[in-house]
Amino acid sequence: MVVGMARAVASGMSCGWRAVSRCLLASFLGFAGAAQAIRADEPPVSPPALSAFCQAPAGDIATPEPLPHLAAALESKRVVRVLAIGSSSTVGVGASAPSNGYPAQLEQILEKMFKGVQIDIVNRGVSGEVAATTAERLKTEVALERPDLVLWQLGTNDALARVPVDDFVETVRDMLEWLKEHQVDTVLVGLQFTPHALKDEHYTAIRNALRTLASAENVLLVRRFEAMRFIEQATQVDLLSADDLHLNDLGYRCMAEHIAHAVIVSTFLLGRQH
Amino acid sequence: MRAANEIDFWRGLALTSIFINHIPGFYFERITHRNFGQSDSAELFVFLAGWALRLVVSSRSNPLNSKRLVLRLGARALTIYMAQIVITMLALAIIAATSMVFDNPLLLEWNNAAAAFQEPVPTHVGVMLLTHQLGAFNILPLYVVLMLGAPLIAILHRALPGALLVLSFCAYVAALTLQINFRTWPTEGYWYFNPIAWQFVFILGFVLAKDDGLGAFARRHLGLLRPIGLVVVIIGFWLAMIDFEPDPTRMPDPKLFFVFDKTFATPARVLHFLALAITFAGSFAFVHRFAGPIAEFLSMLGRNSLNVFCVGSILSLCGSVARYALGGGILVDLPVLICGVGCLGATAWLSEWRERLRAG
Repeated sequence: MVVGMARAVASGMSCGWRAVSRCLLASFLGFAGAAQAIRADEPPVSPPALSAFCQAPAGDIATPEPLPHLAAALESKRVVRVLAIGSSSTVGVGASAPSNGYPAQLEQILEKMFKGVQIDIVNRGVSGEVAATTAERLKTEVALERPDLVLWQLGTNDALARVPVDDFVETVRDMLEWLKEHQVDTVLVGLQFTPHALKDEHYTAIRNALRTLASAENVLLVRRFEAMRFIEQATQVDLLSADDLHLNDLGYRCMAEHIAHAVIVSTFLLGRQH
Repeated sequence: MRAANEIDFWRGLALTSIFINHIPGFYFERITHRNFGQSDSAELFVFLAGWALRLVVSSRSNPLNSKRLVLRLGARALTIYMAQIVITMLALAIIAATSMVFDNPLLLEWNNAAAAFQEPVPTHVGVMLLTHQLGAFNILPLYVVLMLGAPLIAILHRALPGALLVLSFCAYVAALTLQINFRTWPTEGYWYFNPIAWQFVFILGFVLAKDDGLGAFARRHLGLLRPIGLVVVIIGFWLAMIDFEPDPTRMPDPKLFFVFDKTFATPARVLHFLALAITFAGSFAFVHRFAGPIAEFLSMLGRNSLNVFCVGSILSLCGSVARYALGGGILVDLPVLICGVGCLGATAWLSEWRERLRAG
């Protein structure tokens, strides 16, 4: 029942019998309300809606994929461990304080949602790193931190360093398979958006390859590029810092919200299927 | 200039490999020796730095008293420090210029440079303190720390020769057991080359450079050690070919003793490097006989290692810029390789020409 209803919410089709009002709300908010609709039999968790400036169509943010290990960890009510790895957007360069980076904001959002569950996000970002370098240290980090979920932000630097697409895909695929074998869920966080990148063929090729790979491996990919493009074009909000380099606090806020919603929807919609 | 010799030759090889390995996605990355085993040119570079220190400390032709030795080693640390600051600033300027020319702000992220542009106030302090290191510009900070420790190493070696390796090993074991590393600042993180772990590779070079202590043991039992080394090298090669790597999650604690980790120069890497060293030690004569120009060229690079290293670091970054502008692939990478290695040679040649003019 839970899964069936959840699917209905995800696909925007009909609503379940118990939560018609919630479901309407969920449909209205798109992504935002989905998790609320699922746990009809439990005290409702109230997911924060996307902030006005972070609104983007659910389809631009992510396609839900199962996160069974995270779902199990949340249900067990123990401390949930998340490893955030990647480059500068993970480090939080450009944020006014570390607490305004995306991992810290995500931790806050998730803890607010899952009251009583402690979520620890460990930040292991290294600015400017390509996926192959991250992959070199990722296994050891997993061994030392024992996360339930890995958030891997990647692709931008590979695209700019002109890492061959096949090499990039092979690196990421090997790592995803290793993580799966080790019962760690993964959320990939995709490439950054700048208008310049629209004309860059290699950038587009890496972006498309990541999307194809994520869907083939059934791994949740948060499509930052598409979401940010939508937001920038729709609202003209300046999500980049003064020199256009980085997401500023607001941008990190949207990044955290998009990841939070993708994770929540995936956890509750599909978490128990596997 | 001193004649081509084995140490300079291997150092020249390390410098060339470092230049190649520091261009992400570079086609020729696949030919450097890190692809055929567990260790890479960093172990070679640090080991030979320790070796070179020993030659200064125990020089028979130019013996230095402790005071002069401390001054000389301190001056060397300062020179390396200044080199690090200069190449870091050049790299930041190149990254900034590239970003301006191509009108692409994302390029400012390269090599961990973002903080310098986003948070310039603390990051400049961090650059000066060596606690902010650009990606691929992180081996000289290790070298500075090692050279700052060099007077202590030299004095300890003169007072208690046997104690040095034992103390070094204890620090190494402690670093791996307790996961101790230097922190970076203002960006939160840790040094890419952990000085507390890597000093062990440096000290191994130091103690093996002369024919006493462990150096005497290695030389006396070369006949036995070389086959063992060869077996380790072959096993390492085979493991690299099948992409084997111990699964860190299945290793017992303390895990760092069992994984392949560069930051902590873990035992598998150190052992593989020592096996390589023992297997190929002495092969320079062979290379010199059958590939004379290569032996001479790499030795020339090795004789001028700091200059060549600095230029190489900048050239790697220029290589990345070229690849960004022109796209990757062998048609871009081959000219990048030829130009880069040519410039390394020119740097060494110019350095020696200047020395000759001075001497003349």
